Amino acid sequence: MANQLAQKSAKPASKTGFRLSQHMNEVSLFVAIAILYIVFTATANGFMSFNNQINILRDAATIGIAAWAATLIIIAGEIDVSVGPMVAFISVVLAFLLQWGIPTPVAFALAIVIGAALGSIAGILRAYFDVPSFVGTLGLWSALRGTGLFITDALPVSIGRNDIVDMLDQSVFGVPPAAIIMLVLFAVFTFVSRKTAFGRSVFAIGGNAHAAFLSGINVARIRVALFAIAGAMAAVSGILLLSRLGSGNATAATGLEFDVIAAVVVGGTALSGGRGSMLGTLLGVLVITLIGNGLILLGINPFFQQVVRGLIIVIAVLANIQAIKRGAARNNN
Amino acid sequence: MNSAKNPNASTADRIVASLDGCTKRYPGVLALENATFSVAAGEVRALLGKNGAGKSTLIRMLTGAEVPDTGSVKIDGVEISQTGSARALEAFDNGVRVVYQELSLVPGMTLAENLFLGRWPRKAGVIQYAEMEREAAIAMDRLGLDLPPSRLVAGLSPAERQLLEIARVLLGKPKLVILDEPTSSLAAAEAEKVMTAVTRIAAEGIAVIYVSHRMNEIRRIAHSATIMRDGRIIDTVDVGGVETRDIVRLMLGSEASQAAVLEPRSLDKVVLEVRELKSEPKFSSITFALRQGEVLGIAGLLGAGRTELLQSIMGVRVFESGEIFVDGKNIGLPRYRQMVDRGFGYTPESRKEEGIMPLLGVDENTLSTDFSTVSSFGVLSASRMATATRAIIERLHIKTAETDTPIGTLSGGNQQKVVIGRWVHANSRILLLDEPTRGVDVEAKAQIYAIIRQLAAEGRSIIFVSSEIEELPLVCDRVVVLRDGTLKEEFTSPDINQDAVMAACITGH
Repeated sequence: MANQLAQKSAKPASKTGFRLSQHMNEVSLFVAIAILYIVFTATANGFMSFNNQINILRDAATIGIAAWAATLIIIAGEIDVSVGPMVAFISVVLAFLLQWGIPTPVAFALAIVIGAALGSIAGILRAYFDVPSFVGTLGLWSALRGTGLFITDALPVSIGRNDIVDMLDQSVFGVPPAAIIMLVLFAVFTFVSRKTAFGRSVFAIGGNAHAAFLSGINVARIRVALFAIAGAMAAVSGILLLSRLGSGNATAATGLEFDVIAAVVVGGTALSGGRGSMLGTLLGVLVITLIGNGLILLGINPFFQQVVRGLIIVIAVLANIQAIKRGAARNNN
Repeated sequence: MNSAKNPNASTADRIVASLDGCTKRYPGVLALENATFSVAAGEVRALLGKNGAGKSTLIRMLTGAEVPDTGSVKIDGVEISQTGSARALEAFDNGVRVVYQELSLVPGMTLAENLFLGRWPRKAGVIQYAEMEREAAIAMDRLGLDLPPSRLVAGLSPAERQLLEIARVLLGKPKLVILDEPTSSLAAAEAEKVMTAVTRIAAEGIAVIYVSHRMNEIRRIAHSATIMRDGRIIDTVDVGGVETRDIVRLMLGSEASQAAVLEPRSLDKVVLEVRELKSEPKFSSITFALRQGEVLGIAGLLGAGRTELLQSIMGVRVFESGEIFVDGKNIGLPRYRQMVDRGFGYTPESRKEEGIMPLLGVDENTLSTDFSTVSSFGVLSASRMATATRAIIERLHIKTAETDTPIGTLSGGNQQKVVIGRWVHANSRILLLDEPTRGVDVEAKAQIYAIIRQLAAEGRSIIFVSSEIEELPLVCDRVVVLRDGTLKEEFTSPDINQDAVMAACITGH
């Protein structure tokens, strides 16, 4: 009886605590974004201009599309550091495909299939051979960058005139297609993570992989699928990169993987797995993009920009963790 | 006192540790009631009792981890007076050491480094390896552990690791060493080494409290045995002059035989048959059959190999040889997911580590065995999820605020019901339940028994592994005892007698 009462009183509290902590994560990210907007509007010339806001959206797409897949990977307790070289490599492959006269839609589809296949290499190594995903994707990171540079001699691979590719860089009512694709994919990934058996299995694996296996979830297959999806998303970014530059470029997207991981982590997804949200990552992507854009507009020395960026990322995560802790503690009392 | 086993008779009468009228009450439980206990230097004292009898509370009194509500604790004649964490430190300083079941060694470091973990002898911050290894060799030699100190712990056998733990404890020159089921994970030949070491420690004049239920071990090394039940010290007996069945009677008490028994049922269709299953050193030549609608209990002590047996059948663990037949067909080498497809369900012993996904809701924890019934083309339907979860919640009497309440916030009993419920959702017909009532309150235990009987009445077959002897007659149609790596005695309802089952579990060869 006493036990029953204790349970009844304990449960609603913990339930609201769960919601409040989620809430705190997003609230503190909104605050961070607001602060960045206020500071940059006051200090950086042209920050609030329409053109610059569109630029921010386009830059966000570069990080965002890869970050949606990376969020699932990190929730599952894995990591993917191969994003940058994967994007660049796919842009090079796609440029060659187009040079060979393969119809553009077919070339796009092939690029995505190649991305998924390359990504699933790391997934298979992880799922069936217990190679840590950091190592597997680090191998891809090095091998893909190297292959891209080797076959192009680090020179851009131009594709000539291509209407479909050009169209991808034409704004629709002022909004770049990359941003639209990013937002559509955001909706898809949010749905998948919350409403599908696959998405919920990802949370289950990240929360307790052993229990997930024993309850019959096909852990190995889901792990492979996650990395294949990440490869496919990197390929989408590669296609957009090609449309923006008008050529395949093996040296592009340097360091993108760290922007992606930073965005996911700033967004409140736990690196230990089991916990995270797409909305958090969306806000994290905005934070990372705003920092990059604002610092350039301020004309800060590019070397020093990296210092400021590093500081802001760490401070943002630190503040976020503190806010969540305080929210949870206040709720428990 | 059996002087033949106690060469150090001169120090034997010096009391090293004692409890005087100690009582400890936790919310809702009287964990220790007016306990008076003492152990002398050079003595090996066995401590026996079922789960929850109060053994660990008594140990926690001696180590200072808990303060008694009334009564006093003396170590080496001095009363332990501090409270909080200072109390444990005080007991430690006075020479109380515990070697726990969970080993705390770093596999990637050497034996010597592990022995001196965190207290490495150093000069100006540099570890003095020569000195450390010299001392380590001496310490290990005391226990008959003849290994180079520069070897890595990773390559050691379980018994050698256990000995290394004991050697580490001895470095602090203890007066009382408490060993908590030190041989539970060891095969017979391995356990031998640990027992030899215990005898050596006692010969040095150190008092030893040896928690174990293996009577053959106790008879070999202990002078006397203290038996606990329901938070009380029932008796301390001279091991040499007592029969195993008398010890069983003291452990279980007189009310033991009054438990309700099940009506015998006639079941004939065999759904699972295991022949000559072997996985050394845990078990060999395991043969049994499970019939449709039957609850088969597997009894045995901690470390008897029960979990390994279930895992081998489920294909989670590889075994050496043997055959498994499902519905009369030899299935060859079992693979976990195929077993699930054949209608098997398995609930692991460690609920927290292997059973639940703590951050996910009751719904997802229940439905994870089969999302297909609540989704179309992989897209989950919120309404069908809620309906399916509610069906399981009602059938298994799970107490939860909402269907999507995170399972980590539920009580242990309700978590366990969800873990069983996920196989009910998957409509599994053969359930392998490993210690389903561990860490569960009394009310939930009774509910789990009722659930298991209900599932059996529906025609499902259940293997029920339990180390709590008193629940076997309540749940099982048949009980087999796993001891020394094989199935020994078999008891069939209504003749499942607790005393006899317990005696079968603890008796030596």
